[in-house]
Amino acid sequence: MADGLIDDQPSHRRRSPIAARRRNTELTLIVMAGLITAVAYALAALGTNAEIPPGIVVFVAILLGLLVCAHIVVRLVARGADGTLLPLAALLHGIGFVMITRLDDRLAGLQATWSLMAIGIFVGTLLFVQRTTDLANKKWLFFVAGAFLLLLPMVPGVGQTFNGARIWVSIGPINFQPGEFAKIALAIFFAAYLAERRELIAAKTWKVGPLYLPEPRYILPVIVAWGFAVIVMVGERDLGSSLLFFTLFVVMMWVATENAGYLFIGAILFGGAAWFSWSNFGHVQTRVSNWINPWDDPLGGGYQTIQALYGLADGGLLGTGLGRGNPGQVPEAQNDFIFASIGEEFGLIGATAILMSYVLIVGAGLRTALRTDRTFEKLLATGLTTIVGVQAFIIIGGVLKVIPLTGITLPFVSYGGSSLLSNYILLALLIRVSDSAARRLGELPDDPTTGERWKAWRLSRRIRQAVKRGETPADFVEAVS
Amino acid sequence: MNQKIRQLAAGLMVCYVVLFVALNYWQVGQKEELDAKFDNTRQVLREFNRPRGEIISADGVVVARSLPDTTNESLDFVRDYPTGDLMSNVTGYFTKDFGSTQVERQYGDVLVGSTVAQQVRGLGNLLDGNVDNAGSVQLTLRHDAQLAAKFALGAREGSVTVTDPNTGAVIAMYSNPTYDPNDFVGVPFEEARDAITELQNADGNPLLANAYQERYMPGSTFKVITAGIGLESGVLTRETNFPRERQYVPPQTNDPINNYNGSQCGGDMAEVFRRSCNIPFAKTAIELGVDRFVAGTKNWGIDEQLPIDLPRAATSTIGNVENLDKALPLLAIRGFGQSEVQMVPLHMAMVAGAVANGGQMMSPYVVDATFDQAGRELDRTSPSLWKTPISPATAALETEFMTGVVQSGTASCCMTLDGGIQAAAKTGTAELGLDSNPDLSHAWIIAFAPAENPRFAISVVLTNVQSTQDVSATGGRLAGPIAKDMLDFLLTGQGAI
Repeated sequence: MADGLIDDQPSHRRRSPIAARRRNTELTLIVMAGLITAVAYALAALGTNAEIPPGIVVFVAILLGLLVCAHIVVRLVARGADGTLLPLAALLHGIGFVMITRLDDRLAGLQATWSLMAIGIFVGTLLFVQRTTDLANKKWLFFVAGAFLLLLPMVPGVGQTFNGARIWVSIGPINFQPGEFAKIALAIFFAAYLAERRELIAAKTWKVGPLYLPEPRYILPVIVAWGFAVIVMVGERDLGSSLLFFTLFVVMMWVATENAGYLFIGAILFGGAAWFSWSNFGHVQTRVSNWINPWDDPLGGGYQTIQALYGLADGGLLGTGLGRGNPGQVPEAQNDFIFASIGEEFGLIGATAILMSYVLIVGAGLRTALRTDRTFEKLLATGLTTIVGVQAFIIIGGVLKVIPLTGITLPFVSYGGSSLLSNYILLALLIRVSDSAARRLGELPDDPTTGERWKAWRLSRRIRQAVKRGETPADFVEAVS
Repeated sequence: MNQKIRQLAAGLMVCYVVLFVALNYWQVGQKEELDAKFDNTRQVLREFNRPRGEIISADGVVVARSLPDTTNESLDFVRDYPTGDLMSNVTGYFTKDFGSTQVERQYGDVLVGSTVAQQVRGLGNLLDGNVDNAGSVQLTLRHDAQLAAKFALGAREGSVTVTDPNTGAVIAMYSNPTYDPNDFVGVPFEEARDAITELQNADGNPLLANAYQERYMPGSTFKVITAGIGLESGVLTRETNFPRERQYVPPQTNDPINNYNGSQCGGDMAEVFRRSCNIPFAKTAIELGVDRFVAGTKNWGIDEQLPIDLPRAATSTIGNVENLDKALPLLAIRGFGQSEVQMVPLHMAMVAGAVANGGQMMSPYVVDATFDQAGRELDRTSPSLWKTPISPATAALETEFMTGVVQSGTASCCMTLDGGIQAAAKTGTAELGLDSNPDLSHAWIIAFAPAENPRFAISVVLTNVQSTQDVSATGGRLAGPIAKDMLDFLLTGQGAI
């Protein structure tokens, strides 16, 4: 019989103290994040309308229900994963939701729908992607998908321009920003491709003058993907995303090849591109002059930044209190400038908590990258974490006048379905990598996934049928492999 | 690769530290500077969306209130001023786009309920779900007295200020031209902007409360101050006698100083005061010298912002005093309130009040008390002494002189009060000395009544009045009747309490 080949025990229920501890931590933190959100929600309504919202019980029930649902799925299919990632995202998401509700009732309903879908897609991603290798194997699919998504807004009749950037796609009733999803697809592609070819790329066998460069045929796909992304983004006038893609690419090349020269080249390329766009594009010049002194044009280009700074100053150390400030003075307060709204009403303390949440997400993501021993997983975790960390930095830095303002959403916090959905996919992938790392470190048994067990069951059935027919197992193994 | 990932972590950490530093910079470091920016409307906006309490006159008339907003300005409340232009000099206005002034500005925290005392008291309300914590402000000004002042002044430019000399409370303070805040509060932005621009460009600064935010040449009413300084320093006594003369040539010049209308004027202190001779006061100023004269005027609060509980009060001045010892003729002229001397009308009422109050000049105030949402008293203004320019003896002497002005002096025409009540007064006719219009003057009177037991001090100024050949525009003749109307109204008329 095939006892040695197939393990029929319900192995996914095997105990693992480390995994159990992580999941219990996650549950505790998630309930805390939910309660913080619920209290903030009630306070915001008190501050604005002086009444406890009538639907508060329903709100708390749905909120905790959703979070616990996400948690249960993690417990079932990724129980070894880091226990802080989901609660941190939930906290950011919750605070963002409260802020959006407080700013605009109409958007609140939409954001609630998006939140529901986001949790759904999070669960779906975790269930669907149970092995990271599934992603690596489909890298060319992600390459094509990324390119397709990036190009989509440029297609006449489909692409839409809002606020000067052509980054929207309208198909029927559905509007979305494909760029938000393209960034994940490209991160997966970069990670998979670089994991496969990093030694070849790092070898630098091609001598051009004094420089040793990687063999063109190895580096070409990466260059193409990157150049494509950046050019398309610049074409769509989406400066924030261009910066994000550029940084993502440089960081991944640097980490994969362990060659600091890529940082150097990246800096030079960035400097050149920045200078070029500054001297050729009016909208870039406007951004820069608004950054240097927004008070030069206080009612025009500088208005948003100035109002955001006034809001932050008005908030001060402790904030005006939820519902007591006037964050609505800032255009796009629910979107790119939501950090200013949080700073105004939650004060320095609340805004610092948001910053800390991102630092902790970055920490958890890069810890995952360090823990895993697979190159692809390392690079994927690094790339995904870089996306979240850098994206948050770009927009918060823009709001705080640290860097020129480039419109981009604040992950998990800003209003918007594309942003929420893509970030929850990203989160699910990070959790998947984290779980995978834990399994490979032996912290919990590397149980077969549902799909694998299904395959195994079918295989064993076919073997039994084959044995009935009188074939030997050896013949059969030969036949199926 | 792990080394690079660690470096990446360190790099991202640095990025977030930079963000944290920037956050601190804006929210804490630059807070005050940003809050103070002129185009920062956060403070006003916050107050706009909260209930704002009423401003009530001393006799219980609501002069400012908030109504639910019915326009499309997307604000919760709109401010309303039921008495129109009557109290706007004191209440000021409260707008989203054009700032706020006077009591609306100074007592904004009470009106929205954000003082510490109100917030502590309002904690219980918050638990009930009631965030209306708005307080109210009760003025010392009486609506009826204000109406009387407006009526007495009529269409003439000028201001009327009545105070209680014993406390400093302002009972009436009305000036013309003024404005109706409803013209630009609670109306659409463009309409409001046009209205306020028109007011800003109008003659006579209607947006300013002329009674305490403007200053005018005081003319002979200033002699109360010069006499006070002279008597306090011993340069003058009750017995001082001045020769009867038409002209006096001060040191350092050959140009003589004349009395009003070039008359011959002199005699004892009571007489020169009663007849308002110029030469004796010019001589007194010269005899005092620059240092004693300037120090003396400072004792009366000149050169110091008026300590009223309203923003941006004006400062009275005797003009530039640098090198005045090399320009003694100017000193002589300032001795009788001409040249660069400029006094705030409210300040002149306080000067009369100081004489009435035994030499004690009280700090003026327009807010009597503030109340919380439930009507409980938060704070009541307690009268405070500002200056003591003269002794009780000098005050008694000046009272005697000022009584003489009413009985047989420059105000004898017009200041005999009803019911046999004796008033004390000093008139002034400030000749502006414009080459283009030599007969243009400010007509003044300052007074208090009853002389023995003063209850009201008053200053009236009519600005830019024109003397004609038949009627000379003197303070006694023009401003006197207004002062009499006001004092009669308050002491024996409808406004008598």
